[in-house]
Amino acid sequence: MRRSGLLLLAVFALQLSACGSKSSDAPAARTPDDLLGIWVPDAAPRELTADGAPPPLNEDAAAVHAKHKQRYAAGDAGYDPTTWCAGPGLPRILTMPYPFEIRRSGEHLAFIHGWYRWFRAVDLDGPEPQPQIPTTLGFPVGRFEGDTLVIRTVGLTDTTVLDASGLPHSDQLILTERLRVLPDGRLEDRMTFEDPDTFTRTWETVLTFHRDPAARVTDDVCPDRLAKGEPAERLPAKGGPDATAGPAPAKAATLSASTAPAMAPAPRLTGMWEAKTFGIFVPEAEAKFNTAGKELFDRNAAAMKSGHIMQTAWTSCRPGAVSTMTMSREAILALETPEEITILYEMPRMVRRIRMGAGHPKDLAPSYVGDSIGRWEGDTLVVDSIGFNGYAELGAGGQPTSPQLHTVERFTPAADGSYDIEVTITDPQYYSEPVKLKRGWKKKAARHPLEYDCMENPREEDYKSSYYVREQYRPVCMRVAGKGMELSKMVCELPKE
Amino acid sequence: MSRGILYRRCAIALVASAMVVSAAAHHSTAEFDYTKQQTLKGTVKEVQWTNPHSYIQLLVPGKGKQPVEWAVEIGSPSINIAMGWKKNSVKAGDMVTMLISPARNGSPLGTLRTLTFADGRELKGIAGRARPVPPSPAKGK
Repeated sequence: MRRSGLLLLAVFALQLSACGSKSSDAPAARTPDDLLGIWVPDAAPRELTADGAPPPLNEDAAAVHAKHKQRYAAGDAGYDPTTWCAGPGLPRILTMPYPFEIRRSGEHLAFIHGWYRWFRAVDLDGPEPQPQIPTTLGFPVGRFEGDTLVIRTVGLTDTTVLDASGLPHSDQLILTERLRVLPDGRLEDRMTFEDPDTFTRTWETVLTFHRDPAARVTDDVCPDRLAKGEPAERLPAKGGPDATAGPAPAKAATLSASTAPAMAPAPRLTGMWEAKTFGIFVPEAEAKFNTAGKELFDRNAAAMKSGHIMQTAWTSCRPGAVSTMTMSREAILALETPEEITILYEMPRMVRRIRMGAGHPKDLAPSYVGDSIGRWEGDTLVVDSIGFNGYAELGAGGQPTSPQLHTVERFTPAADGSYDIEVTITDPQYYSEPVKLKRGWKKKAARHPLEYDCMENPREEDYKSSYYVREQYRPVCMRVAGKGMELSKMVCELPKE
Repeated sequence: MSRGILYRRCAIALVASAMVVSAAAHHSTAEFDYTKQQTLKGTVKEVQWTNPHSYIQLLVPGKGKQPVEWAVEIGSPSINIAMGWKKNSVKAGDMVTMLISPARNGSPLGTLRTLTFADGRELKGIAGRARPVPPSPAKGK
């Protein structure tokens, strides 16, 4: 499979270099790589239609949809998990007014969404998936038919809605997407819905997207919006969806004959990985506290010992990138181009972007993910990260960090094909000397990451008996138990200004 | 590392550390008293097959006219799948017996050790996997 992937890359390299040799005013032939890059929705439709007509819902599903519409009219959009920052599902996430980026490396093509760190990993070289567990974005498998990417997705959970109006679906839904770049340069995603439990027949809808040089896909943390009293889904500004502003992305790959991918170094990290060890405790850090660090840690420990659940950045669903260094779990998908190594973490769900051969910008806005730059020292990848916002704990014990946090990760290949990772954490605000950890990645056989939808079920019981490391971690939406035979429901109480 | 070893290490960590963290690694489970066990017999009202933790809401006949509604934490979907559960393994209306470790604060809340159906079939909960093991000087890493 890897060999066929490399062969494909070589074919694309030839195609690309062929395109590069054409004069600039001649329309270039479309190639599969034209799909790559950042796309901004042309519209953010509240309601999907089948070519302008209502989708062919069966009687039961029509009743469910009608009830959702009644609830919306009464000011309750709680049928849509997006409203409390849980996974939007498909194609709901593509109807949101947020840009997304398509990246590709090895046997995967990934959609990196601008809304709350979601990503979708499309397997380009795998067998028919046999999902054991349904997920919000399912188990997509893709193939190119000429310049059209055809993605078939199964294994979609029935707990999401297809659009903001609450169009329902079952877990039997098979979604087929045909993506291509139109002659006018826009991206078209033509979707076919097959779901006999919901619809009386197969139907189609089309979403389109455009390029915007100002658009950025940045780290978006939905619960922070709720905490500020803002809606989970920011509605489009006048004149259409506004692209999230952010630091300029790494310079786009411009391929000349001399730097065609055939000449580029072979990707080394590309593929599916998982953590070698299971590290949620970070005792190494506790030995290095200074007085301020020890004081905070002891305060957290006392609250835990009194029987409280401790709510950290991780448990309140806004972990910082340092959590992926200290206590990553489940699948890790790495995508690698000469300019950027993108790491998609299943748990905690996060997208880390490592700009290769770059420097840190001078004016860096502090963030949960920080700013990561990388370089190869022989076979070792060295990743240097700064620009953190101080909202992250190193481990489950609540070891604090500050905006002074600086991390260096050294990924060194081991003889068995795995990677050993040495992490050095420096933060003079809370630690008297650098904290050094040993972690590692080993190859994972799975073709798709699963999902860690941290905001899916914030239960009242958990949060009522909680201790909050920071007051900002207190949740806005909670699942409240139903009285008598009434089922539980989500209730959001936006903070009062 | 096999899942089995992973969970064993986690179990050791549960004992080794004063700060107890569940196998789901989402939040601390200091709220539950793992030294205690309690048996609940009742009817499933609702299954929340969700992240970060899944729950079964169980109606247990009590002293009063109304049954007492217990909330029993059953792990997370990905961990439960690895332990042999399916999304629809337990459904509303099922009559089940649940061996749990209860919350320290005395509220009708617990974490599952073992679930037994009327026909004798069993499903293990994560607390069942983290059954006390002999204390070990090994640190959970």
